[in-house]
Amino acid sequence: MEPAIRCVDVSKQYRLGITRTSLLNVFSHNIRRVLKPDPQEVHQDQTIWALRDVNFELSKGESLGLIGQNGAGKSTLLKLLAYITRPTYGQIEINGRLSALIELGTGFHPELTGRENIYLNGTILGLSPSEIRHRFDEIVDFSELDKFIDTPIKRYSSGMTVRLGFSVAALIDPDVLLVDEVLAVGDASFRQKCIGRIQTLLENGTSIVFVSHNLYMVKAVCRNSLYISRGRIKHHGNTSEVINRYERDLHEERASRFDSEITNQATNILFAEIVEVELLSRNSSPPSEEFYSTQSVEVRIHYRVFHKGGNANAVVRVVRSDGVTCCMMRTSIDEYNLVLGEGNGVISIILEPLQLTGGSYYIEAFITDEMDSVVLATGISNWFYVSGKSLSHETQSGVFEPRRQWKHVETSQ
Amino acid sequence: MPKNIRNLIQAKDLLWAWSRRIIQARYQQSLLGGLWIIIQPAATVIILSIIFTYFIPIDTGEIPYIVFSYVAVIPWSFFSSSLTDMSSSLVQNMGLITKIYFPREILPIAAMMARLLDLGVASGLLIILMLIYQLPPYLIGWLYLPLILLIQIALILGLGLFVAALNVFFRDVQSMLTLILQIWFYASPIIYPVTLVPENLRPYYFLNPMAGILESYRAVLLYQTLPGYYLLISCVISFFIYLTGFWFFNRVEYKFADIV
Repeated sequence: MEPAIRCVDVSKQYRLGITRTSLLNVFSHNIRRVLKPDPQEVHQDQTIWALRDVNFELSKGESLGLIGQNGAGKSTLLKLLAYITRPTYGQIEINGRLSALIELGTGFHPELTGRENIYLNGTILGLSPSEIRHRFDEIVDFSELDKFIDTPIKRYSSGMTVRLGFSVAALIDPDVLLVDEVLAVGDASFRQKCIGRIQTLLENGTSIVFVSHNLYMVKAVCRNSLYISRGRIKHHGNTSEVINRYERDLHEERASRFDSEITNQATNILFAEIVEVELLSRNSSPPSEEFYSTQSVEVRIHYRVFHKGGNANAVVRVVRSDGVTCCMMRTSIDEYNLVLGEGNGVISIILEPLQLTGGSYYIEAFITDEMDSVVLATGISNWFYVSGKSLSHETQSGVFEPRRQWKHVETSQ
Repeated sequence: MPKNIRNLIQAKDLLWAWSRRIIQARYQQSLLGGLWIIIQPAATVIILSIIFTYFIPIDTGEIPYIVFSYVAVIPWSFFSSSLTDMSSSLVQNMGLITKIYFPREILPIAAMMARLLDLGVASGLLIILMLIYQLPPYLIGWLYLPLILLIQIALILGLGLFVAALNVFFRDVQSMLTLILQIWFYASPIIYPVTLVPENLRPYYFLNPMAGILESYRAVLLYQTLPGYYLLISCVISFFIYLTGFWFFNRVEYKFADIV
């Protein structure tokens, strides 16, 4: 069976520097170049490879997540797949009707009403008016905008625009659907509905390429993912595996940047350093990477103090893989008196129980001065994984899993 | 080229929808709405008639100046307003071009289609004028009208696609176009008859394809004569420009989305 998408050695080059958008510039530039050659000129016409040698295939009914940092090339790849721009080298083959949702309200005209825009957007996506008429009610139903369908789009909120955009793109039964970031704007319940619709499409044989910074959503939608870094495919495989790989890289980078940033702004004299930040489960002694939400966990900060020492403070911050701070604990707030002497030692804090929802996290630790204002040393833990009862597929499902007890009392009428 | 035409046929619904959208958007929040289609050329012609009948009389023979000029003013406004709209059609919709794929030529072509409506409405007024001034009908000559219009559309499409594409790369193309259209207006037989052009210069004069096109409209509508050799010149030049324009557009089309 032929694949829905096939990319062979796809590369895309962009020119950096000045793009001349006035004829006068072109003339003056060329005259100047003849009269006075500028050695730095070469830099201006430098090019950048936004994508390099990308190869992959996507079968019908499969979904593929694109994961990577900003500027890694995800959007470029999506634009190439949508035929908006062409590759410098390589071939892209798409079989079937393509529907792309690259940005908020793409193809909508603000002056026209929702109804008119459905027709306009539908035709842009390649449908005939009768095909749109056929699906019109379904689209309006899905978008939940029947009350506003004859209102000009310019009076819509951004959430409403996304709803309409997704409804059109997803209800025209595309063979290939490209979705970029847009769902971040919609509200949680509509997002769940979109994920549901995407799943239906997948079952009906639509292939989906999905880009989101929200890794939980990628995990919910895509079985396989591509990890793109600096224009190249770094990893292609099962989504959780790819996400782990990506998070590890992200973490390493963060850790190194974190160190250099903070040390620079601290005092010139090295007062102390954090040798290691480790996590231990209280029941089993060896440091671990996997914990349960209900487990008691001890965070240990191994430090070394070089000078005479004195009053100090410690700060521990738990961060989720997407950068959300889950909690921050300070000795100064807890009024824990910490005196550090010259030499090595361990500061430890026990979290009993951990109470984090399922996901990947890491811990940042700081040693600060007496006033808890100047950072003296920093450290960062390895990433760790929490498997809880409620797996957070979404930002909305929270970071906190309380110890809980359900109760139900029926009072007679 | 064949791929191009196939694209267009597939996208004919979009072409219609987009043209309608342009027209809707143009008159939606205006006071007089569609009346502007008439007001614009009518005002031009009234001004021209006052100047060239009372202040600087131009001899137009039997034909009253108002009809004489109106016959040329409406195809000329179709020409110039189409080109102006087409030139900005891509730049104005860059947001769409960088976000979604559809045959790009839809945008400039729809801009012209929307102006075709103006031409139609303004022609209605012409019929009224011809009835008022009792110009005799000339049925055989009128058969030429679709051909003349076709040649004119070919010219507009060729130039318009070229200008629209170039304007993406160099924004001053649009201002330059305004200037060129101003000069072009005086280089074409709109406010004066071709007979004012010296006989020996006329073959060069007709190298301007609009000269032949406007003169042909006048011949069949006002003078009951068939168009002369000049229509052939216009035809050849217009179709050459048409092909060149499409060729150029296709050559650079894929770069549009990369220009931010």
